[in-house]
Amino acid sequence: MSLANRLALASPEIRALCIEANEFPRLSAQFGVRGVPHTVINRGGAFVGALPEREFVAAVLEGAGIPMEEQPGTAGPSTELSS
Amino acid sequence: MTVIPEHVRAQLKARFELRLTGPVHLTLYTRPGSSRLILPAGLGCATCEDARQMAELLRDAAPEKVTLDVVDTSRDPGRADADQVDDVPTIALGANANTGRIRFQGLPTGTEFPALIDALERVSRAEHDLNAASLAELAKLSQPTEVMVFATPT
Repeated sequence: MSLANRLALASPEIRALCIEANEFPRLSAQFGVRGVPHTVINRGGAFVGALPEREFVAAVLEGAGIPMEEQPGTAGPSTELSS
Repeated sequence: MTVIPEHVRAQLKARFELRLTGPVHLTLYTRPGSSRLILPAGLGCATCEDARQMAELLRDAAPEKVTLDVVDTSRDPGRADADQVDDVPTIALGANANTGRIRFQGLPTGTEFPALIDALERVSRAEHDLNAASLAELAKLSQPTEVMVFATPT
């Protein structure tokens, strides 16, 4: 959740919302939360687990409909979002 | 008050004295509580009182830097709608009242508490520590984008 907060600090377009999953079980069920951290972009695509900065940013952009340009030699693990 | 023990409050005060450089505005969206009773959705709020005490403790740890507004969403539902706050308790953090884009919905205890402190300190220091490549990519965003992170205290 720290990375999401840092993104919100860096970009005026981003709002980071950390949700206590146990306290909002219906919301957790709605977004299919089975493990944490469970990150949902624009209430659509999601991924589970912590990602390095570059992959996290790529996932956020992908969730916002903006493909991230691949940089030579920096390909990391897949950040394809499940929906 | 059991949410934050006394020794942690003292640590917080000492830590904030060293680490906070700029103002931080907290907005707590809340609703009159129902002690610990869990009521049907829309009624009461089992953790709002604890969240209020937590927000007040953060403010009181550095009152010269941290300000706090409390919004009772049952009296001012329009404010919650305008600020796109779905549920309570929610604590929003920003450098001022208009930039509360870092939010914690629910009571941030356990592993979430350090994340709240980290966020508060980063807002105060305007310190995101992202690398240049990430900033270049984020600059492509032209529409509001929400990043929801579900977490648990343990």
